[in-house]
Amino acid sequence: MTLAALWREPLVQAAVWSLATILLYLLAKRVHRRWPRWWLMPLAVAPALLMIAALALNVSYRDYIRGTHWLVALLGPATVAFAVPIYEQRALIRRRWPLLLAGMVAGSLTAVATSWALAYVLGIDGELRLSLLPRSMSTPFAMEVSGEIGGIPDLTAVFVVLTGIIGAAVGDIVLARLPLRSTLAKGALFGVGAHGAGTARAHQIGREEGAIAGLVMVLVGLMNVALAPLIIQFMK
Amino acid sequence: MTQRSILLQAHRLLRRNQLAQLGLLGVFWAAGEAVSRATGLPLPGGIIGMALALALFLAGGLKVASMKRGANWMLAEMLLFFVPAVLALLDHRELFGLLGLKIFAVIVVSTTAVMCVTALTVDLCYRWTEHHDAGSAVA
Repeated sequence: MTLAALWREPLVQAAVWSLATILLYLLAKRVHRRWPRWWLMPLAVAPALLMIAALALNVSYRDYIRGTHWLVALLGPATVAFAVPIYEQRALIRRRWPLLLAGMVAGSLTAVATSWALAYVLGIDGELRLSLLPRSMSTPFAMEVSGEIGGIPDLTAVFVVLTGIIGAAVGDIVLARLPLRSTLAKGALFGVGAHGAGTARAHQIGREEGAIAGLVMVLVGLMNVALAPLIIQFMK
Repeated sequence: MTQRSILLQAHRLLRRNQLAQLGLLGVFWAAGEAVSRATGLPLPGGIIGMALALALFLAGGLKVASMKRGANWMLAEMLLFFVPAVLALLDHRELFGLLGLKIFAVIVVSTTAVMCVTALTVDLCYRWTEHHDAGSAVA
């Protein structure tokens, strides 16, 4: 078998791209630990390098994701893992749930209202604007709501990922500028604003922040799926 | 071997072995997926699996120690699992222009607003209740 034929083999492609993804992520993590700048965050650097490689080798997204989909699927078990920090912080959550609820409602309303208004001002309309509205929830919830309100679920999934990257960086800046006293507020801002990616960042900041972010992320998703019909009413 | 001793063995394995703990997370996820498919609920399997695990912890049927190390590892490396999803951008070349810039602006400004509003709401409520608690403690 020639080298070119071997390269076209799906199994080889899957192995190469999975390995490349993991190694570039580990490399990006190392670089970020050495130089902790927000624009060097692994979630931005690793995909950027992979995208350059894919474009250079003329590999489409479909070919790439066919081999690496198992990594994305691991988000399922990772979600189950949130049971541990949430259980460990149950006393705090039981005592402070009204605060979290207030933050979730205020944050979700802000997400929908500002996305809609900014898109309107910038002349983004139609399905594209609707697809932008549910982007601060985690992907499965966001796609559900997007379809419900008349957006394009696939495009919403892309916006969700972008929000995660941007949110993890913006969250650090917001944390540094706002005089926040409670770990509850620090965790909640990541959970409401930047779903899973933000929650992963919150987990790196502290156990309590991570637990709150994880809980809030899940509850915001549930709340928005339940409230989607109301959002439609609001937009008519 | 009695059923009880098998369970004991399983618990001992789970407490020591991180790989077994990762497997347990997978089992809960698969169970969640099965429930999601069987009931037609619009909930992802991971979330149902998380609820199941949480319910078992609270009911005392499962010790947190038998999942903790696996869960910590999973949460620490979770960002890796988002990396492949970002490459979906390759299929949306239309976003690599002015439109993309506009959408970027919407996401940055809106996310900043959401985070500030959320954090300030929670923190102000927190300070208010602290103040309130302190006041009633004195009185």
